[in-house]
Amino acid sequence: MSLTLRIILIVCSLISFLFCVMKIKQAKLKVNNAVIWMIGSVVLILMSIFVNAVEWISVKLGFMAPVNFVFLVLIAFLLIEVFLNNIQISMQNEKIKDLNHYIALKEKEEADKNTK
Amino acid sequence: MKVLLIVPAYNEALNIEKTIKDITENTDYDYVIINDCSKDNTKEVCEKNGFNMLSLPINYGLTSGIQLGMKYAKKYDYDIAIQFDGDGQHQAKYVKNLVEEIEKGNCNIAIGSRFVTEKKPKSMRMLGSMLLSGAIKLTTGKTIKDPTSGMRAFDKKAINEFCRNASLTPEPDTLVYMLKKQLKIKEVQVEMKDREFGESYLKPIKSIEYMINMFFSIIFIRMITRKNV
Repeated sequence: MSLTLRIILIVCSLISFLFCVMKIKQAKLKVNNAVIWMIGSVVLILMSIFVNAVEWISVKLGFMAPVNFVFLVLIAFLLIEVFLNNIQISMQNEKIKDLNHYIALKEKEEADKNTK
Repeated sequence: MKVLLIVPAYNEALNIEKTIKDITENTDYDYVIINDCSKDNTKEVCEKNGFNMLSLPINYGLTSGIQLGMKYAKKYDYDIAIQFDGDGQHQAKYVKNLVEEIEKGNCNIAIGSRFVTEKKPKSMRMLGSMLLSGAIKLTTGKTIKDPTSGMRAFDKKAINEFCRNASLTPEPDTLVYMLKKQLKIKEVQVEMKDREFGESYLKPIKSIEYMINMFFSIIFIRMITRKNV
């Protein structure tokens, strides 16, 4: 891995780490949701500091270049995140729908009570 | 038997009065309008006439509307729930035939089908209908001639399925699910009119998306549904 790439990776992951901490402080992000991003940025920092380890793994796994391994890890991480988010959206959709139904049924009950 | 007609309505202010008049004049069944947060004055029209209506605070689509109707049917202990479009395409005089089939114990689900005795006309819509029929035949071995018909009667067993499984839609894939759950489906010949006012839920642009969804769903549901109830 070139020095420039290492510096970029370190700087970017540090920024994202700090950004997470800041958002948690402002209570805009729940700790549970931020943990995964913090772990992600820490892993990225580690990977750019301990280049030798990354090189060793990528040779063992048969990658053409260590940087490919770094990218693969990042892409896998993002895919998993997107998938988990999708599940959460589905679940929240169901919950909103149930609430929607509940409100409609409740309103109807109230209206019936008033007419009787 | 207590029978409930579920009338989903989205922007149907022009049709709804006629539909309800048709129901109350030609049948003595109960009905409930599901107002899916219409943007026009559907709600006001229903309130003015004193129609029995459930009004959703957020627009959530046809599936949600039918599911709410099923919940209502279960809550007030109805034996049969019938999906009945609020846009004037369905005629209430045919509902009796569907109810009779279920009352006789011939089936759990009765479909008001346009093509039991009549032949399918040749058009793009019917091509879609034929493809879906083929998919159902492949996955369940049963022939359903009009899978996209919106007029379906469900007995208690099917209503319970609807309330238990939130992923059930008022679409052909649900028929596959019900067949897999060993419920019997029978088709009854009915006539349907063309809609007079307003827009249908199924717009032409969306129909390709609809077909792809249906195929995936039919194949997927076929794979995950277990036979025993």
